[in-house]
Amino acid sequence: MRPLTEEESKLVFAKLANFIGKNLIQLIDRADEPYCFRLQKDRVYYVSESSMRLGISVARPNLVSLGTCFGKFTKSGKFKLQITALDYLAQYAKYKIWIKPNGEMPFLYGNHVLKAHLGRITEDTPEHQGVVVYSMNDVPLGFGVTARSTVDTRKLDPTAIIVFHQADVGEYLRDEEALF
Amino acid sequence: MDVSDILAAHAAKQITTRVEKEIPLLIDAGFLTVTDLNVVDKESYDADREDYLLSTARDGIQALISTLFSLPSTHTQDGPLTSLPPPNTPLPRAKPLPKPKPPTKWEQFASAKGIQKKRKERKVWDEEKQEWVDRWGRNGKNKQGEEQWIQEVPHGADVDHDPVKNLRNARKARVAKNERQRLQNESRAQSSSSQLPEREKRKQEIDRTLATTRVSTASMGRFDKQLEGEKKLKGVKRKFEPTETSVESEKKTNLAILSKLDGDAKRARRDVPGDDAINVRKAIRTVSKGRGSAALARPVGGRGGKTSSRGSKSGGRGRGKR
Repeated sequence: MRPLTEEESKLVFAKLANFIGKNLIQLIDRADEPYCFRLQKDRVYYVSESSMRLGISVARPNLVSLGTCFGKFTKSGKFKLQITALDYLAQYAKYKIWIKPNGEMPFLYGNHVLKAHLGRITEDTPEHQGVVVYSMNDVPLGFGVTARSTVDTRKLDPTAIIVFHQADVGEYLRDEEALF
Repeated sequence: MDVSDILAAHAAKQITTRVEKEIPLLIDAGFLTVTDLNVVDKESYDADREDYLLSTARDGIQALISTLFSLPSTHTQDGPLTSLPPPNTPLPRAKPLPKPKPPTKWEQFASAKGIQKKRKERKVWDEEKQEWVDRWGRNGKNKQGEEQWIQEVPHGADVDHDPVKNLRNARKARVAKNERQRLQNESRAQSSSSQLPEREKRKQEIDRTLATTRVSTASMGRFDKQLEGEKKLKGVKRKFEPTETSVESEKKTNLAILSKLDGDAKRARRDVPGDDAINVRKAIRTVSKGRGSAALARPVGGRGGKTSSRGSKSGGRGRGKR
């Protein structure tokens, strides 16, 4: 376990800022308890300072997980957000999209969101913007990246993709051994 | 009639609250710990191990609980509340002792000359004011000359002679000298900790030169002839921040990175042409208060002038921006 280097922090923050923008400050500068980002076996964990201090005494091979896993660094050095970060993304998301009940299952099986399944979307969402996907009764289901801006979606046909799938809560079942 | 037997039997039945041992138990109420230093009684241990362990444990807990009840307690809604005393069992420290700092140049000199360290008081006695004043800082003694309302000018002084300025410069020079000496001490402490003998230093230099030349060919040393006994090149070891840093400093660096990211994003947005064009649909919606462009076009009754003028004003602003 170690803190992130400056380059790693930049990658992580850039990814997070794509979803939550300025609210990222709320994650770093928390009022309730100091939290920090820690790297352990290529995974980035968002962990409270007290449990980080407890985790120090666990040897590196024995430490499986701590805090909330936000994602991992790939071998080529890119950072990928994981579904486990959804709690924080959903809390601070700037752009949201709600999908109709008939679109929930296709999304939860790992498919992109089609226009036919679009319930509501935040006004003025730009293209290639990170969005959090909700069901119609405001349950966060996952997140992805918009394929078109809100204005452009109006002209599309119903089978066109509007949000590229990145992660969904179905992964808790599908990729159970790879998460955390 | 002899009742001593009956009394003894009764007493045996009643488990006493007092625990008596050969070596008294060590009780640390702060950690809720009891340490039993008595030697294990081999006979009774072999006879019935479970029973023996149970009774030893019972004695310990009994002693602990009677200590707890002897502590002062307050009555609350949920029952009596006792606050534990501070623990008295010394625990080993987690980290090694900090290394002593290398002495400063003055400390070396003072120890050589046998000069004792004297602590300077923060306040000094002012004879004129008849009170204690600060040695430095606001209205400090070291600024007394500068803050006088009248200054003595030496005979035959220059026209631009400024006694206040001279005193101030001298004081600032003293501060700068002290800072310079502090930095020198610091660098000396740094170098003395990583000081190598001359031969070792030369060896490192040669190794570094050799390593540079080995990768300075067209194939970056890949297809070169290997010499006998040549070792594989070692890379640079990566260095990371310690895991346990102060959270404040970590937060500060994170926020600095974040602000840098923000700056980059803003610059990138400025470079993209046509991105600052206004969103016409949104502008119409805000200006017409959600009634659409048709509502803007048609003038409304008596107070229509006001609304239409507002609309045209906003439109003008939009055009100007574009």
